[in-house]
Amino acid sequence: MTNEFGGIVVEGVARSFGSVQAVRDIDFEAPPGEVTALIGPNGSGKTTLMLMLASLLAPDLGTVRVAGFDPVTQAAEVRRRVGWMPDTLGVWDSLTALEVLKTLGALYGMEPAACARRADDVLEAVSLTEFGRQPARVLSRGQQQRLSLARALIHDPEVLLLDEPASGLDPGSRVELRSLLRSLAAEGKTVVVSSHVLSELDEIADRAVFVSRGQSVKSQTLDEAGSQMRRYYLQAEPMSALAEALQSYGVRFEVRGDSRREEFLVQLGSTAEASWLLRTLVMGDVVVTAFAPAGGALEETYMSLDTDRR
Amino acid sequence: MSTVTEPSTPQPVRSSTVLPFWSAVRTIFVLEMKQRLRGKGWYWMLGIWFVVIGFIFVLGTGVIGTMENQGGILFDLIVGFVLLFGLLVAPGLSANAINGDRAGGTLAILQVTLITPGQLLAGKWLASWVGSLAFLILSCPFIFWALALGGVNVQEALVSLLMLAVELGVACAIGVGVSSLATRPLFSIVSTYMLVALLAVGTVIVFGLSTLLVMEEQTVRSSYYTYPEGSFDSSGAPAPDAEMECVSQTNIYEVPNTQYITWILAANPFVVVADAVPYSLPDVPRGNGAAMGYVEGPYYSPGVMETISQGVRSAQAGPDLEMTCEESMGGRQPLPQGVPIWPLGLGIQLLLAGALLLIGRRKLTMPAKRLAQGTRIA
Repeated sequence: MTNEFGGIVVEGVARSFGSVQAVRDIDFEAPPGEVTALIGPNGSGKTTLMLMLASLLAPDLGTVRVAGFDPVTQAAEVRRRVGWMPDTLGVWDSLTALEVLKTLGALYGMEPAACARRADDVLEAVSLTEFGRQPARVLSRGQQQRLSLARALIHDPEVLLLDEPASGLDPGSRVELRSLLRSLAAEGKTVVVSSHVLSELDEIADRAVFVSRGQSVKSQTLDEAGSQMRRYYLQAEPMSALAEALQSYGVRFEVRGDSRREEFLVQLGSTAEASWLLRTLVMGDVVVTAFAPAGGALEETYMSLDTDRR
Repeated sequence: MSTVTEPSTPQPVRSSTVLPFWSAVRTIFVLEMKQRLRGKGWYWMLGIWFVVIGFIFVLGTGVIGTMENQGGILFDLIVGFVLLFGLLVAPGLSANAINGDRAGGTLAILQVTLITPGQLLAGKWLASWVGSLAFLILSCPFIFWALALGGVNVQEALVSLLMLAVELGVACAIGVGVSSLATRPLFSIVSTYMLVALLAVGTVIVFGLSTLLVMEEQTVRSSYYTYPEGSFDSSGAPAPDAEMECVSQTNIYEVPNTQYITWILAANPFVVVADAVPYSLPDVPRGNGAAMGYVEGPYYSPGVMETISQGVRSAQAGPDLEMTCEESMGGRQPLPQGVPIWPLGLGIQLLLAGALLLIGRRKLTMPAKRLAQGTRIA
């Protein structure tokens, strides 16, 4: 778990821009060796929190510790240990990917030779080796996104802050990103990922912190999220038989309206309850054609929180 | 916020978080120059520059022809135009250095590295200065051509080029400073032009208006040669054997005491360059053949910059309250330098640029406590 020597600990942080209170009160913890998801609707303060963690923005209130250091008073110590991938793509158009990485490496005080080796390594890690000598402007959006990730990794940081890293990535690159982040966490690094693509975070993250309107509203591990009340959707041939069976077991269901297919949605308290229902239905000769969780575990939490998306 | 009470807080390792100043500046410089050299815009500007300077040179050669001091006048003309165009080019090269990066999303990426705001600004300034020095270097063929025509001593040429380079550096520093303060590139480029115009034109306007404040009634004694009263014949022509004599007359005029306000002109880039250059003043013959009514030898014909230099010197000297007969006949006498005014001007310019850069440096220091309205860090 988090201790003073690593990871991120944020307590009661607030930050406003003029009259806009971007972050009101966020508690946040990201232990080393795990991937922590930062989840929230647009404008909920995710990026502002990321900027504070990256030592670009000073909090008005509260304490922040990144790898054990205070980003305000010990900015250089934090910067040396943090790799930050912003949600905007900053691209030096005419520079090649390798030049970008070497420049950044030099600005982190790396020796040229070590920096060149490391640049090759991180380019390989994000599968951009063949584009190393191409100017950045010929890269596609997804490739630039990967270059941005490589840039965040150049100085082998202990803490990685990734703001929407998966946006613009094709499915193959998402899988690669997932395994890359898992392997970084396995090396003992602290990884923070902000996103609102929840299905993807389900597979990457060990824990999640939910923020809404500048406040942290819930923090849970994926294991906790998995064992909570979840919705399942069911299909059968014919649907009427399923409806009868559910009614006879006293299971409440609703007809799902936002889907192309006709589906029933049921709320089940645990995986044990789900397996009981499936078994009972099958034993009762209902021809079940689909029985699956309606959304990812994080999506369930997200939807269950009374977050307003105005 | 303090962690003093927590004994487990790791001790910072100072040595590894500080970049050597010049290596960081060099990294930024190289980054900027690579982008500039790979873009097309800079080469276009250089090409247009070369054509324009060449055109002016050829035009100048044609107009001046085989006048006395041809080399000197041409050299002066080129220096004046290089300074004028340089002051137009330098803001363009420097005034989007910081906020252009911010708009492109690359500034924050640099700011999360170990580079300090001072190193960043120094690297950006150096890159824009070197970029604008290329324009000066490109004008060298014409400068050398003018020098080859003679009439300009080495010292004059060297100091002119040096001061041009310094003035371009000042303009670039103002541009970089403004670009770190203003949010939008367009706004900062315009602001930089305004500041440069304030120095180049504004000082002259303020000086001109201020002359009204230093007007004073003073007795002016002016002398001139004329024929004595009784030497005219009936038709009004002087008698053939009449000798001209020196007559003085005293009048009370409102004259501007420009010596009190010349310092206003000091910060003008043209004045700084012109005043710093040690022009070799020609020995213009005095009107000792005055009785004959003409001046022997070549007229003193200064070039553009030297004219500015002379203008400043005469403003420094204040109104000429005593005009002798010799002066009235001797054509324009070049004034020697009194107190050099350019150190004051350069000082004011450096103070302005330095102040802008200092405020800019504070603004670039992260983590940011306050942000300007509408600014996004990333």
